[in-house]
Amino acid sequence: MDLIGLFPTWYEPLIGSGWVIGLIATIHVLFSHTAVGAAILFAVLAYIGVRDDRPELIDFIKKYGLFLLVFSYILGSITGPGIWYSTTVGSPRGISALIHNFVWKWATEWVFFVIEVIGVYMMVYMAGKLDRRTYMKVAIIFGLTSYTTMLAIVGILSFMMMPGRPEQWFAEGGYLYGFYGPNTFAQLAIRTAFMFTMTAVVGGIVAAGLKDAAFKQWLLRRLAIVGGLSAIVGMSLYPWYLGTLPGIAHLVMENRLPDYFTPSILIVLGAMLAYFALTFIRPKIVTATLAGFATLAILVLGLWPGETVRESVRKPYIAGQYLYSNQVIGHDVPGMGVKSEIPALQKAGFTQAHIFWPESQREITRENAPEVGRSLALTACSNCHSLSDTGIRPLKNYFPKQADIEGIKTYLLGALSTGNTMYMPQIPLKEAEAEALAVYIASLNDPDAVSRYRAESQTAQLDHRSDEEDK
Amino acid sequence: MDTAMLYALRDPLGVPAHPVIFLVLAVLTWALHIAAVHVLLGSSALAIRGAFSAQDHWRRLADAMVNTAKVAVSVAIVIGVAPLLFVQVIYDPFWYTSNVLSAWWVIAFIFILIVATLALFIFYAMNYEIRHKKVRAPSAMIIAIIGFLVVGFIMHALSVQTLEPDQWREWYAPNGVIDASGRSIHAFDPWRFGFFILLSFPVIGIWLFGYRRYLQGAGESDAGYLDFLQRLGTRLGAVGGVISLILLTLWMRGLPEDISDFATGIWPIAAAAALIVAVAYPVLLGKRLDRGMWGYTPVLVATVAMIVVATMREAVRWVTLFGVHGYNPLDYKIAMDWYSTGLFFLTFGVLGGTIVAYLLTIAWQAGQTEGTYTPSRAVNLLGTAGVVLLLLWIAQYFGFGLWTAYK
Repeated sequence: MDLIGLFPTWYEPLIGSGWVIGLIATIHVLFSHTAVGAAILFAVLAYIGVRDDRPELIDFIKKYGLFLLVFSYILGSITGPGIWYSTTVGSPRGISALIHNFVWKWATEWVFFVIEVIGVYMMVYMAGKLDRRTYMKVAIIFGLTSYTTMLAIVGILSFMMMPGRPEQWFAEGGYLYGFYGPNTFAQLAIRTAFMFTMTAVVGGIVAAGLKDAAFKQWLLRRLAIVGGLSAIVGMSLYPWYLGTLPGIAHLVMENRLPDYFTPSILIVLGAMLAYFALTFIRPKIVTATLAGFATLAILVLGLWPGETVRESVRKPYIAGQYLYSNQVIGHDVPGMGVKSEIPALQKAGFTQAHIFWPESQREITRENAPEVGRSLALTACSNCHSLSDTGIRPLKNYFPKQADIEGIKTYLLGALSTGNTMYMPQIPLKEAEAEALAVYIASLNDPDAVSRYRAESQTAQLDHRSDEEDK
Repeated sequence: MDTAMLYALRDPLGVPAHPVIFLVLAVLTWALHIAAVHVLLGSSALAIRGAFSAQDHWRRLADAMVNTAKVAVSVAIVIGVAPLLFVQVIYDPFWYTSNVLSAWWVIAFIFILIVATLALFIFYAMNYEIRHKKVRAPSAMIIAIIGFLVVGFIMHALSVQTLEPDQWREWYAPNGVIDASGRSIHAFDPWRFGFFILLSFPVIGIWLFGYRRYLQGAGESDAGYLDFLQRLGTRLGAVGGVISLILLTLWMRGLPEDISDFATGIWPIAAAAALIVAVAYPVLLGKRLDRGMWGYTPVLVATVAMIVVATMREAVRWVTLFGVHGYNPLDYKIAMDWYSTGLFFLTFGVLGGTIVAYLLTIAWQAGQTEGTYTPSRAVNLLGTAGVVLLLLWIAQYFGFGLWTAYK
């Protein structure tokens, strides 16, 4: 018997594990991008401060640095591993794929983290203590190191969409083909641009509190220029990024994204530009509350949809275009010695191949079919489809209320098992499994479906003969 | 859960270098992480103890310990990333299963740690110059300590759960029905948890010797304060050391029957001996503590002791997973990748070593200098080398990257 290395499933009924991951990831993006952008901004300000002998710039770094220390480095350094934790429980094989491909890249990034954390403390607590040239050198190290953390992670994020060079990676494997590709650099360019946008907005929170009106105006205007220009550059890079995506991603975007998505993104961009224009023309009006509100707006209206799209367009895969979102390996990767698990599932089914499958559910009966169906839905569906009324893409919404068990079963066997549903992974089901899953799905819209099913004696196909025939 | 099932849970991608490298790195980085956690917990406890004291020395210590805790939390978090990474590489079947089975707690870990850390920073911000002012918001520090203990307990439980693969299926599907909520903590060992937490006392005791030496280097004039630190450090080391040894014994006595022989083997004895040496060492140094760099050596000895303790912890895992369940992390499939392996070690050893040495040197020397600090020419060169290495790193990134992406 071929066993498949599927882990237990965690299912969060209120919002779904996918949104838990998304929520933590979005918050982390805000913190981390701001941290990197601010570090570079620090380096520039320290340079100007030393060159032009402007101690108020060093004071600003100290003040912003303390805020940044908590806002970005403390919260960023917790939510960073937090993404690991949330993906570990929500998609263990997804994070495993990234870890096992890129462990050394992450370890390299960790070296930069260590430097970065020492650096931010030194920027804050050594301002005024170190001579100016040394302080500037620390600022340069800090800025460069922060940016290398982004360089290190962006190829891993890109791999979640697809390997850098898919054909070469599938054939030959290896870190370089997995990490580097056109999408890596397009994503790097966009993230770099928006990193400055976020820094400009978050920087406003601190700048708003500056007592020196002339300096406040000087700084807010420069932040407005940096923020506005980087937002425009970031958006203008978007077509390049889209051009690097695989065909399936374009299909998903065309068919699955809500109509309001593009206009709403444009509105967000327009609002940001308006904000920067306003702060440029009237820097006096910027208060910590206004800048805080703008930060929140970026988080909710800008980052969340952006991260949601990135999550959606890689479906049905979760990593590297070989691992399905339901944790099953969907394609061979000869270069890495990875075999598709679809044939094993076709042969034995989830109930026999899944290591953690309850023993009492390995044999499917009319009595336990609803429970087996629930186990199948948890295992094969719940990563992308909530089993409750709330959360991500509720499963019940994808089937008509009046759909009967036979109809659902026919779809499951005809389209899903064979891999003929767009955006969906191929989910091979034995006939008995399909019936069990159909009973469960039917019960989501019609609680009486189970009792009717059990009362029926002829219609269901569930018996061992069908299972044997499959074999 | 038989051995074949455990092996089936491995990632088919394999690992990009020999697994023993990840094993060693996991142990070493975990030792540094837990040492930082001990400093965090110990300094937090001393800070709150000192904050309520009327004695000037205690209040001064509270001031220093708040600052120590503030840095220690960052260090503990950032160093903790490394063992978390390496454990997933070679122990993925165990780590992922344990995490998923207690998923709710894994997610809670993130938010509790955020609250605890923010509480610590709130206490810090509210108690600027605590030495001369009445303590404010002490509840923030108490919340922080409780939060750190809770997240420590979550990590502890996740580790213990990895050692019980025979229980996993029952935990996942009690009575044959899958419980996917992840809301339960399934296993823990109070003696083991107590041992690793209360090690904070001897560790912070030894840390005080290093702090004392640092003050001496900065020309500390209050000899009474230095004596106070020495007495407190010795007392914390002695009492904390004894408590730790008792807890270690209780942990070993409670090991499962199938690995009970471990308790009388070499590793617990080595760990106990290392702890005894670490706490006795500053006492044995006597007056040499005040001479040359000797005053810093207790911290180095304690670091070695922590590595021994971490190795013992790894040995418990080894005898359980390999000895009982037949899982050998060292036979993980190797998909050797020379580029990323080499890049890591060069970054770690050359770039990281240079820059961290530079930053810590100037931080240390600046702290011991009155007024503005200007580094020596040699230290300056170290910093310049760090900048050049960073630029070279970025250049190789784009060089290899663009060549790979567009060739």
